[in-house]
Amino acid sequence: MLSRIANSLFWMGRYLERAEHTARYARVHYCSSLDAPLVQKKEFVMESSLNLSGLLYEYKKAHGTLEDEKVLYTITLQESNPLSIRACVNSARENARGARDSLSSELWESINRFYHYVNNYSEADLNDKGIYNFTDKVVENCAIVNGYVHKSLIHNEVWSFIHLGMHLERANQITRILIAKTNDMGKAATQKLGKVVENYQCVTLLKSAEAFDMSRTYYKAVPNYHDSLEFLILNNDFPRSICYNLTRMGRYLDRINHSKLQEKDSLEFTVGKICATLHYLTIQEIEGDVLIFLNNMLLSINKIGELIEKKYLNY
Amino acid sequence: MRQDVASINRSVFNAYVSEPGLLDEVFNENNLVKDHYRKVFTQFSRYSTDDLNKINEYAKLSFFNQGVTFAVYSENLKGIERIFPFDFFPRIIPNKEWEKLEKGLLQRTLAINLFLEDIYHDKKILKDGVVPAELIFSSNFYNREMININPAGGVYAHVSGTDLIKHSDGEYYVLEDNIRCPSGVSYVLSNREAMKRTLSNLFLSHQVLPVQDYPEQLLAIIQSVAPDGIDNPNCVVLSPGMYNSAYYEHSFLAQSMGIPLVEGRDLFVDRNFVYMKTIYGPERVDVIYRRVDDDFIDPLSFRADSVLGVPGIMGAYREGNVSLLNAPGTGAADDKAVYTYIPAIIKYYLGEDPILNNVHTYHCESDGDFRYVLEHMQNLVIKPVDESGGYGVFIGSKASKEELAQYKRIITANRRKYIAQPIMSLSVHPTYIEENGCFEHRHIDLRTYCLMGKKKQFVLKGGLTRVALTKGSLIVNSSQGGGSKDTWVLE
Repeated sequence: MLSRIANSLFWMGRYLERAEHTARYARVHYCSSLDAPLVQKKEFVMESSLNLSGLLYEYKKAHGTLEDEKVLYTITLQESNPLSIRACVNSARENARGARDSLSSELWESINRFYHYVNNYSEADLNDKGIYNFTDKVVENCAIVNGYVHKSLIHNEVWSFIHLGMHLERANQITRILIAKTNDMGKAATQKLGKVVENYQCVTLLKSAEAFDMSRTYYKAVPNYHDSLEFLILNNDFPRSICYNLTRMGRYLDRINHSKLQEKDSLEFTVGKICATLHYLTIQEIEGDVLIFLNNMLLSINKIGELIEKKYLNY
Repeated sequence: MRQDVASINRSVFNAYVSEPGLLDEVFNENNLVKDHYRKVFTQFSRYSTDDLNKINEYAKLSFFNQGVTFAVYSENLKGIERIFPFDFFPRIIPNKEWEKLEKGLLQRTLAINLFLEDIYHDKKILKDGVVPAELIFSSNFYNREMININPAGGVYAHVSGTDLIKHSDGEYYVLEDNIRCPSGVSYVLSNREAMKRTLSNLFLSHQVLPVQDYPEQLLAIIQSVAPDGIDNPNCVVLSPGMYNSAYYEHSFLAQSMGIPLVEGRDLFVDRNFVYMKTIYGPERVDVIYRRVDDDFIDPLSFRADSVLGVPGIMGAYREGNVSLLNAPGTGAADDKAVYTYIPAIIKYYLGEDPILNNVHTYHCESDGDFRYVLEHMQNLVIKPVDESGGYGVFIGSKASKEELAQYKRIITANRRKYIAQPIMSLSVHPTYIEENGCFEHRHIDLRTYCLMGKKKQFVLKGGLTRVALTKGSLIVNSSQGGGSKDTWVLE
């Protein structure tokens, strides 16, 4: 396979996953803020959403005050913002178009339809129908595309590179969500807001990762911060935990890699080492300083991305 | 009254007026439906405007979702994507008519290949004075890099897209030979697909010859011209990239042949061999079906500012380590000025009379012709010899006095660049006009696809019928408001 095609497939996967997470985070936070405990100001939620996409600074520079409609527009439809959902979907489709000849017609059509949907959605539609309608459709379209990735392609290199992109991005997004929520909770704690707020924050955290129902089933208890962290970082069976995604990446890399030698600091070695560490880590060891752990994790994930690029994607 | 069947609803054909002097593909001079169109016509007559609008919308959506689009060059870097308008009233060519066309196309393509081999080797035809030597040597497309190169199998023009029209005398005429990078074949296949999806029942009552075998035939042609000694050639399609207006077609052909679609930046040349950059390192490439123009293919040999090409690829080609389809320099034979000599060229190499008619052409370069052109401008179409896509075409009958004077100045300044032909009347065909909710007649032409490889040849059954959607217009190019139809050759 051409390196350029591998690069397009990898980034197609990343952008699709990024669009999905941004959409879900914005929806969960906005909707839960509507009936939040009194002190959970909407402003607080807006700030959190912007923070996740790394847009807070840019937004404040441009607009100053946080207004519902402006914030939502920035996150969802603003094309000039390279991190908006629309920009992500455009980039995903652009990459798919560049690798069109290695995709199935069904997969390509599903991405193309998604693209037309997002681009026909106007600012007026957004103000009219509200954020729920749009983000819900985005998440749904991502599920359709994922379905075609899974069942209409040969499970070969093409498939592996799309998945590498998706898992890398998902690990990245989950880590960022955890950082954003840990920060939110830190703010809440200094204001001595108590158990109700912790519980509320944990529910939105889990929902943002599509993990609320499964964590209830797993822990059989009202969510708390300790369990939520453990679930999203260390659970090896849940597709939205950091550990799960990195383990999967290890498998796809093995599938692609033809050489059986494993050099120290090679891509496969690095991923294997991080996975092994995660498999034997307990949540108590992390809890000491969650933010340091998460920030280091983010650095490791970015490092993996760079190694993939260096080994396979340069052209 | 157009039909002798009383029960049918004629409303969608009510506004259909035939114009004297124009040849209608469907109706004869007594306004009766021609035999080979009878069944299709009867079915369409049964539909109401609502039905037709539904069919139209359904077909459009299918193209849009499939991403069957072309880009129109614009200020915006992304380019604007449009669907190529599709008309669901198929153009039907009876088998007898087609057989003659097919023979004529093969004859023409064979002669053109012999001509190309000659002008890049011994130049006999020029020495014998059949074609003026200065006409060839002054052509922008005569490629000196090609002199004494021997392409595999002796084939230069592997893929030709000859444009034909049907004149009011009922005869087909060749309008031009496109033998550089003819495009549009993907629309033939997607038009057929859309037709089968929307109006499948029409196929039940007709024996339509298939077009779906084009990709496999093309692949066989590509493989047939692999460099000597290569058993299992590594073949690729070379595209300028996804901002090119024909990118959909490039990716479609690569996908349907099952070979990689590459861009210039994916390839490199080392010691006169061409390699592509894969995830496991360099992989040798043997045959390139290139959809990049001559000028851009090798920045070392041609345009140094090209980023679409592959530096050094001409060196590898000269050594016979890689094959290119079509060969560089084929443009020397599809120049509109060389076009006029094609009947003589066929006679010279094959000793046969040309099967397909040529339109009489006046060369502004020659003094006698130039005088005639100036005197009869309002009855002529004048074209630059080296442009494509319908750009720079002057139609005398439609021009104002000022335009006439202005164009006179333009051609006088550069006589070599212009040729003139009598205004050919393109035949007309019922076409569904969305705004009016009914069928009206529009001018059409026919682009054919002829493949030639080492001991292999193939003509696509049918081709692309292009429609000039603007009322009265004769320009069918997609970049200037043209659409297309599915084209049926009946068994």
